[in-house]
Amino acid sequence: MKKSLIIFCLFAFGLALVMSLALGRYPIGPADLLGLAGSLLPGIAADAVPVEVRMVFWNIRVPRILLGIAVGSGLSIAGVVFQALFRNPLAAPDILGVTAGSGFGAALAIMFFTRMALGVQGLAFLFGVVAVSIAYFLANRSWDRSASVLVISGIVVSAVFQAGVSILMYLADPYDQLAKIVFWIMGSFHAASWAKVQVTLPVVVVGSLLLTVFGWRLNVMTHNEEEALSLGVDVFRWRLFYLGISTLVVASSVAAVGNISWIGLIVPHIARYLVGTEHRRLIPVAAFIGGGFLLIMDTVARTVSVSEIPISIITSILGAPFLGYLVIHRGRKGALGVGAG
Amino acid sequence: MSVRVDGLTAGYGNSPVLHEVAADLAAGRSCALIGRNGSGKTTLMRCINGILKPTKGTITVSGREIRSMKRDEIARLISLVPQGNYSPFQFSCLEIILMGGAARIKPWSAPCAGERLQALEICREVGIVELAERPFNSLSGGQKQLVMLARALHQNAPVMLLDEPNSHLDFPNQHMMMGLMRRFVRERGVTALITLHDPNLALQYCDDVVMLREGRVVAAGPTAEILDDVHLQEVLGPGILMERTVSGGRVVVPRNM
Repeated sequence: MKKSLIIFCLFAFGLALVMSLALGRYPIGPADLLGLAGSLLPGIAADAVPVEVRMVFWNIRVPRILLGIAVGSGLSIAGVVFQALFRNPLAAPDILGVTAGSGFGAALAIMFFTRMALGVQGLAFLFGVVAVSIAYFLANRSWDRSASVLVISGIVVSAVFQAGVSILMYLADPYDQLAKIVFWIMGSFHAASWAKVQVTLPVVVVGSLLLTVFGWRLNVMTHNEEEALSLGVDVFRWRLFYLGISTLVVASSVAAVGNISWIGLIVPHIARYLVGTEHRRLIPVAAFIGGGFLLIMDTVARTVSVSEIPISIITSILGAPFLGYLVIHRGRKGALGVGAG
Repeated sequence: MSVRVDGLTAGYGNSPVLHEVAADLAAGRSCALIGRNGSGKTTLMRCINGILKPTKGTITVSGREIRSMKRDEIARLISLVPQGNYSPFQFSCLEIILMGGAARIKPWSAPCAGERLQALEICREVGIVELAERPFNSLSGGQKQLVMLARALHQNAPVMLLDEPNSHLDFPNQHMMMGLMRRFVRERGVTALITLHDPNLALQYCDDVVMLREGRVVAAGPTAEILDDVHLQEVLGPGILMERTVSGGRVVVPRNM
């Protein structure tokens, strides 16, 4: 990766961060932003900044931005891992049913466990993990231990949980619960809070670090099972390791903010285009780009119209055409990971 | 390092492909595995490599049974040059070759500078230094096969399995591949087992031969002794003959087919 590109990316990320902190329903001016930044230094008080601005900044803007960066990074890293494990550049983190499972858990909580603290997030996380576990154990019962059987199991589990969500939506009160379920499924950061950050951030950070540290072995896992085995990698054990960690990262992300489409599919391609497939290099770059990308998308989602647009709409509108662009213009050059070979 | 296959029965599901196969691969020699399609050559390779568990019989490498070893232990003893190769992602050739060291690199680690130097040295030996930084998927079939050979050499295992290494190669590349294999057997003392479709390549490059027919060993031993009309016809079908060339060499040719 060229130095100028690294500097450009860092600059773009910094700019996106400042814009995201400043923009929103309660804009924060440059003077207040500087005052708030200054208050982080020892010995400088933030008294010059009005208390309501401080409230918006610390209780709404900062947790929302932290959550956005964490979720964007987590989903992107999981996307890289899933694409490597399934040897498929079009695999997304929800391929094993985590999103469908989380959706079901969230819908269940919205309808029946409204009084539970962190009920929606907790059940969404739980059912996301349960869905992937079912897919994994279903595939393990097959004589064929290849990754493609796992994909089929994921399709089965997704379909069942989606049907479950449909049943709950059918039963839901159309004036209250139904809207909440639909809005949750479309994903949003509007309910970001320090409580969510405290629950989500450690899982995403620890998971991402583990996947980065153990990243080199993923290179070997992109080969067919027989080759990877003959290179000395116990494919089946390591697949469980990588799937387990990335599922925890995805489930905790989706549980916090709902379904966010395309990030886990698109960002790995952008990162791979910039630094190649070597996973020890690829994973941190994907995390950085994913965090920045979702930060920008969220800023767009809450600033372009009077009411906030669900984030998945924005990521789909921008993400899908981008994949189309890659297919047409860059596919032959390997942007999709597939060479001319 | 020698490999011993004893009373091996193996297959897929309830249909055995190999029946009571016995073979000895002597240390530091090359051995061709010859047989028609479906005779069990690749199945035997998969068993030796510990990929397929046999239903009966044993496979030992220097006296140690493969079945009792972990994947990384097997990889330190046996390397594989697969037939055909495709990577769904774009890696450079050097990155592909470095993967040969996976069994000795800690799971939380990555290849060190020493590994890279070693891999580049192997590139030099195989004659592919100029390919090191090129994307693997942009190479021709012959070049890819050389990269696969380099990866197997980087694995640094005393036993090397080559599964139809010539299947995608043109005539000169087939001979270059076999020549390199023979050179590494002699220089490094590697024990090589190669599945081949062309008995002439076995005749020219391999010390020993194991001939398979319908999952059973028909003949095994030094190539010069074993490759004769009787065995060739029994394994490859009637009409396959060994003939003398004008210069006094031997060549296998099909007659009346």
